[in-house]
Amino acid sequence: MSILPYKTDATYLRWAAKNLLRISFLGVDPGPVRILQLLKRYPWVSAFLKVNKLMGRLMGNRRGVYREVTGYILNRFVDVFADITRDLDRYADRIVWHEDLVPPEVIYAMGLNPFMVEMLGIVLPLVDVAQGERLIDEAENAGLPADTCTLPRISVGLGLKKHLPPPLCVVTSNSPCDGGMTSYAFLEELYHAPTFRLDMPYRYKDPEGIAYYVKEMKKMIAFLEEHTPGRMDWDRLRAVCEERNRATAYELELWELLRHKPAPLGSDVVFLGHLAFALLQPGRPRSTQVFKQLLEFAKESMRSGGGLPDEKYRVLLWNPPTLIFPELFSWSEQEYRTTMVMDMLTFNRHPIIDTSTPDTMLHDLAQIFMQGPMAQHTRGPVEYFFEDLFFIHEHYSTDTIWMAGHIGCKNTQALLGMMREKCRRRDIPLLIIEYDLGDSRVVSADGIKEQVTMFMKTVMGA
Amino acid sequence: MPKYWAGCDVGSTTGKAVIIDDSKVVATSLVPSTLDPEKTALQALKAAIDQVPDLESHEACEYLVGTGYGRLEVPFANENISEITCHAVGACHLDPSIRTLVDIGGQDLKAIATSEDGTVKEFAMNDKCAAGTGRFFESMARTFQITLQEFSQLSLKSKNPTSITAQCSVFAESEVVSLIAKKTLPEDIAAGAQQAVARRVLAMARRVGINPKFAISGGCAKNEGLLKVLEKRLDVPLARIDFDPQLIGALGAALMAKRRGSDPI
Repeated sequence: MSILPYKTDATYLRWAAKNLLRISFLGVDPGPVRILQLLKRYPWVSAFLKVNKLMGRLMGNRRGVYREVTGYILNRFVDVFADITRDLDRYADRIVWHEDLVPPEVIYAMGLNPFMVEMLGIVLPLVDVAQGERLIDEAENAGLPADTCTLPRISVGLGLKKHLPPPLCVVTSNSPCDGGMTSYAFLEELYHAPTFRLDMPYRYKDPEGIAYYVKEMKKMIAFLEEHTPGRMDWDRLRAVCEERNRATAYELELWELLRHKPAPLGSDVVFLGHLAFALLQPGRPRSTQVFKQLLEFAKESMRSGGGLPDEKYRVLLWNPPTLIFPELFSWSEQEYRTTMVMDMLTFNRHPIIDTSTPDTMLHDLAQIFMQGPMAQHTRGPVEYFFEDLFFIHEHYSTDTIWMAGHIGCKNTQALLGMMREKCRRRDIPLLIIEYDLGDSRVVSADGIKEQVTMFMKTVMGA
Repeated sequence: MPKYWAGCDVGSTTGKAVIIDDSKVVATSLVPSTLDPEKTALQALKAAIDQVPDLESHEACEYLVGTGYGRLEVPFANENISEITCHAVGACHLDPSIRTLVDIGGQDLKAIATSEDGTVKEFAMNDKCAAGTGRFFESMARTFQITLQEFSQLSLKSKNPTSITAQCSVFAESEVVSLIAKKTLPEDIAAGAQQAVARRVLAMARRVGINPKFAISGGCAKNEGLLKVLEKRLDVPLARIDFDPQLIGALGAALMAKRRGSDPI
């Protein structure tokens, strides 16, 4: 496969320049001295300088609108991380760590600065896999078992090196996995920060389960009020939820367009968009703007024949994307004419939040988080997992399911046998990619390519 | 002059070639692998071509498909196709009722779920470990200082198979040495080794679902001791294919050559 010479491509150069401009603006706000201090204190910030390399890898051989939107989403991603970096300085005295399955909307509505610890375990392998691997080793050397998921191992590695911003307190949960929970025990000890653990019930779809979680969220609010200067501002939460609703409406419309063959967009554009603007920074005006813009791009792409006009296979990706090899999809688009139209981390039941009272807001947030990506798929009865899997498969008319079989995920490893049997009964070609989410030394990018190639040629007849 | 199609399977321990015409297999060959896969392929092809008076060289074949682990190093093949596809096509050509096939090669183990025409529906493979492969049997035979053929027959005499616990070929060898030192009967140890491999084979096969008929291909399918154990443990009939199981991959490659050569994509 020949890749477009992206370093001289106009689309690439334009977005690369915008990214560098945004990053260099950190020299103005918070300022040159502060940014140097931040870089010294939090070396992971420097990983963002590699974003243009990532962009080139993701753009691959994409053309037209699809190429443009890849640049756009990466650029908005840079915006988010530039803001997070700036806020490490601006709101250093209001930082609250939260785990990825704890609603940041509530923390934000309390006038606090939410910092998702898992964010770095996701972003570092994407942008700078070697930096992530050093942190994995750090955590392992400190006693975190080698078979723990690499994502929490990166979090612990950062904690051990004191590369995480000191929090006022920590809010975490009993999800998504034992490894995640263990990592917070380490971090709690390392930072001596008061920690609250939200308890997600087993049968979280039952009304009793939702009511229980609402109570847990109220306890979390009381905890935050006790340990931080933040106070619950229900009007602010309403504004956040309403903004989230506006973004959700656009995202749901975008997802409808993804059902179209050929799909207008797909893969990293969709999952990076959801990751940054629905999971990391939900309820912000920028998130709404991004989903609105993605929708516009999708419509434009459809008018010009779709993201991959000669799309041959539609892929549903299960489990988080292959972070150590994010260009898997742009590569397979080119090699096998596949479009990854939907993935587990993106798809969410997404109810529109009823903002009429504090209780209705908490109720709907509880539903969103308990039935959302990762939570829904790593906890509770197995039926919930398979209901989602096969619903998405049918809804998006996918030809094959690719299971990113991250070996560190005990929860999903335990399900592989059942997954194989259920797919077999439905005659759905299933590829289980054996690899590690954050450690390329376990299976390299080439190893992933080999597995995909073998599957596509042998089973799909590509 | 009749038309010929060829398949060449460059395996880790042997190179195999099969030549077919419009209706039947006209030549087969099996040679030990050399360090150079291209050389192995040439030797295997030459040995087969020498059996067909009409053919002067592999270039005279209509189409040539390379398969096996060394297939990418066979530059003169018209096409390279994975051994999973070729084994499935070859086995189903010989017995269309086969639905589960396990290819036990010299250095890997592959379970394949297939349809009537040999289309691969699912597969699972172990290519990172020698457990349950020909290498394992080679190491066992070496420990007993007997040939592979003698080893495969030895287990048939056992009345009380010993349990071999180690899954890893290296550790299994140590375990066998210890058992020999304890004066355990050689046939019981051999039977234990066959059972250990059978467990491994069945575990791999279960990943793709075991459906009748079940068949084994690859060099290890010549191991009668293993087939007996599998027959006992399987809930479905074990197909006995009337063709050298070691050549099934090359046969599949030749059949694929005929398909592709007759109907180029």
